[in-house]
Amino acid sequence: MAEQAYTVASDSETTGEERSSSTVPEIAIGIDIGTSQCSVAVWSGSQVELLRNTRNQKLMKSYVTFKDEVPAGGVSNQLAHEYEMLSGAAIFNMKRLIGRVDTDPVVHASKSLPFLVQTLDIGVRPFIAALVKNMWRSTTPEEVLAIFLVELRVMAEMQLKRPIRNVVLTIPVSFSRFQLTRIERACAMAGLHVLRLMPEPTAVALLYAQQQQQNVHENMGSGSEKIALIFNMGAGFCDTAITATAGGVSQIRSLAGSTLGGEDILQNTMRHLIPNMDSYFSRHGINEIEKMGLLRVATQDAIHKLSTQPSVEIDVDLGNGRKIYKVLNRKEFEEVNQNVFEKCASLINQCLSDAKIEVADVNDVILVGGCSNIPMIRNMVTGICKKDVYSGMNPLEAAVRGAALEGAVASGVNDPFGSLDLLTIQTTPLSIGIRADGNNLVPVIPKNTTMPARKDVFFTTVHDNQAEALIIVYEGDEEAVEKNHLLGYFKIMGIPPASKGVPEINVCMDIDASNSLRVFAGVIMPGEQNPSAPFMEIRMPTVDDGHGWCAEALNRTYGSTLDLVTVQKKVQH
Amino acid sequence: MLASFSISQLSSPKSAEIHLRLGSNKSIYRRTRSIAVRCSERKKNYYELLGVSTDSSSQEIKDAYRKQQKIHHPDIAGEKGHENTIKLNKACEVLMKEDLRREYDASIGLMRLGATSSWKGPLRPEAIFVDENACIGCRECVHHAGNTFTMDEAVGTARVKLQYGDDDTQIEISVDSCPVNCIYWVDTKELEVLEYLIRPQPKEGYGVFGQGWERPANVFMAAKSFNKQFKRKVENQKRNARPTDKE
Repeated sequence: MAEQAYTVASDSETTGEERSSSTVPEIAIGIDIGTSQCSVAVWSGSQVELLRNTRNQKLMKSYVTFKDEVPAGGVSNQLAHEYEMLSGAAIFNMKRLIGRVDTDPVVHASKSLPFLVQTLDIGVRPFIAALVKNMWRSTTPEEVLAIFLVELRVMAEMQLKRPIRNVVLTIPVSFSRFQLTRIERACAMAGLHVLRLMPEPTAVALLYAQQQQQNVHENMGSGSEKIALIFNMGAGFCDTAITATAGGVSQIRSLAGSTLGGEDILQNTMRHLIPNMDSYFSRHGINEIEKMGLLRVATQDAIHKLSTQPSVEIDVDLGNGRKIYKVLNRKEFEEVNQNVFEKCASLINQCLSDAKIEVADVNDVILVGGCSNIPMIRNMVTGICKKDVYSGMNPLEAAVRGAALEGAVASGVNDPFGSLDLLTIQTTPLSIGIRADGNNLVPVIPKNTTMPARKDVFFTTVHDNQAEALIIVYEGDEEAVEKNHLLGYFKIMGIPPASKGVPEINVCMDIDASNSLRVFAGVIMPGEQNPSAPFMEIRMPTVDDGHGWCAEALNRTYGSTLDLVTVQKKVQH
Repeated sequence: MLASFSISQLSSPKSAEIHLRLGSNKSIYRRTRSIAVRCSERKKNYYELLGVSTDSSSQEIKDAYRKQQKIHHPDIAGEKGHENTIKLNKACEVLMKEDLRREYDASIGLMRLGATSSWKGPLRPEAIFVDENACIGCRECVHHAGNTFTMDEAVGTARVKLQYGDDDTQIEISVDSCPVNCIYWVDTKELEVLEYLIRPQPKEGYGVFGQGWERPANVFMAAKSFNKQFKRKVENQKRNARPTDKE
């Protein structure tokens, strides 16, 4: 395990760290890399503890400043003022950018951030750069994340006095598998091994399972199944989950998520204040960056204040005689962000219907994340669920605490008092399938399938004497195949000559508990027991950057010559 | 007909005759494991896998599933729990859905309560009953009165699905056509007990011996003694209940 192949150089990293030779299993730490804030927690032997940085902060701002030769992240760095983060030298919101191409609307929405996000709109990775000594210096979201993770790792190693390698990371539900590989890449660059990637609401669900378990022990309460709805909205993403909990086992019934968060609310409000904001700031000059920082901070403050007071005064001087003065009341703020709240509501309703749960069956409603303080969000959630919000959790710490619990459970730690007698049973947030039946996505593993999962579907050829078949694997739930995330592609060769519809092509997908996907495929002729050619096993995703083009190129080169259709076949047990 | 081969079954002993190994054991990936063909254990049915009885409720199945998951889930058991957990997930998925469960029950030759006959029209004093121990699966009765009788393809015997589903003459013909005379006119009151007893019940095993499914050799004798025992039980209950009433 002593492979230290990829480590991002960092001056704060103490080299020659003493390796403690303890025989106890290394307990994986839980990390919640939020879009705006980040936290680390670990099982201390009797409970979960959040680690603090040298400035005694439990929640650290997620950003990396490229000031001098050496970049510094929000763990070690002390900001003189919030404006410093908005000077263009700091990269933040990397979670919204990682693994996205420059045609993605989320990337386009990030163009109003103070640092440079340049798009060519051709489906490649966007150009991201920080302002260093009046020059744009390029970087990548993975690199920024890795630098930040190294700082977190150093902090944890100093406090726990042991090397840290295994981590459990929380991720948004809506992340594609390609984005997950980017997160894993960033971790590898930081010398960390990802033990588990947990969708944020499922981490919260595990914490809930532990709390329910403790209630049962203490109050001799009923150990019957409890259904909880979890709504998590942070700066970058919005996720919901339904979990059925009994006996310390949290079984996820459904997941739904979208790229909708406080950042969208902030930008909507900023646009409300300056309707022509995008053109106003598009030049990205030093002067504009500074003004944009002023507006951003003022708007952020105003939104925070609106959570407790009915109206707020915004007063920003944008220079050149341009001043913004406005009294924003809560009603106006809610109208401006109407579309965000509506989408959140539809996410909850979708989650309920996917889980086949009636609102009346929900025992607890858990509201977490930075946006959970917004009165409109609270009203919306309690309005749908017709129930008050569960009060037993800190909304900003729930996810990282759950991740730390999972880290301890998956590291094989036992607790004599049964506090770790827990298990989370995860489901797939998106369907995974292949292109077949024309230009459709045929799911092999449907969404909300319990993991680990293995399923297979039979396909057959569409042409007589078709010798090869193209398998293109996608992830997503859109019927039109190109709207989903491409994961990879390969060819099945050596199909024996036969009329169309005769050869049987079996495509099997296997997802293990650590969420790694393998695709098996091969061809069998009817009546034969052995496959005609060796089967194939492919780990997915195999695509790299610019993958949007690959599907198009395949389509252009092969058309429908290597197509497949599904075979209606009785399910076998 | 399509060949019955699928990769997902590779780990099950059913496909043990398929000499195929997928992937390389010497894979460089840390999480890769080979899908090896195992043929040691007898294939457990889903009920045995979860450790529940065949008539268990969905709540019992859920509880058993959680209990098993706490033993086998890869978070707890490590990577070796992968195959077991997949089987558990499949078992739970099938048994939790009423239609899939019924289909599965039929496929393993098991009839649950849903397999009792229903009535067309009002109850009559006499009902039709097939002694499936005697039935040879000749299909004569199904041929003559297809709305009344049905074949259980899993066990190869005929069964009543709908009492008086056809008109009386057709039923007369089909009863007469039975070469082994295994179709009986029984008292309607008796029907429920008979239909229950004819269903194979899981048998307790002793180690590796004697496990399996069984039904009484003579279902009519079994029904008689069942009724006797039932009556005695009711009387006992009454007797036991009386003293508590006085208190």
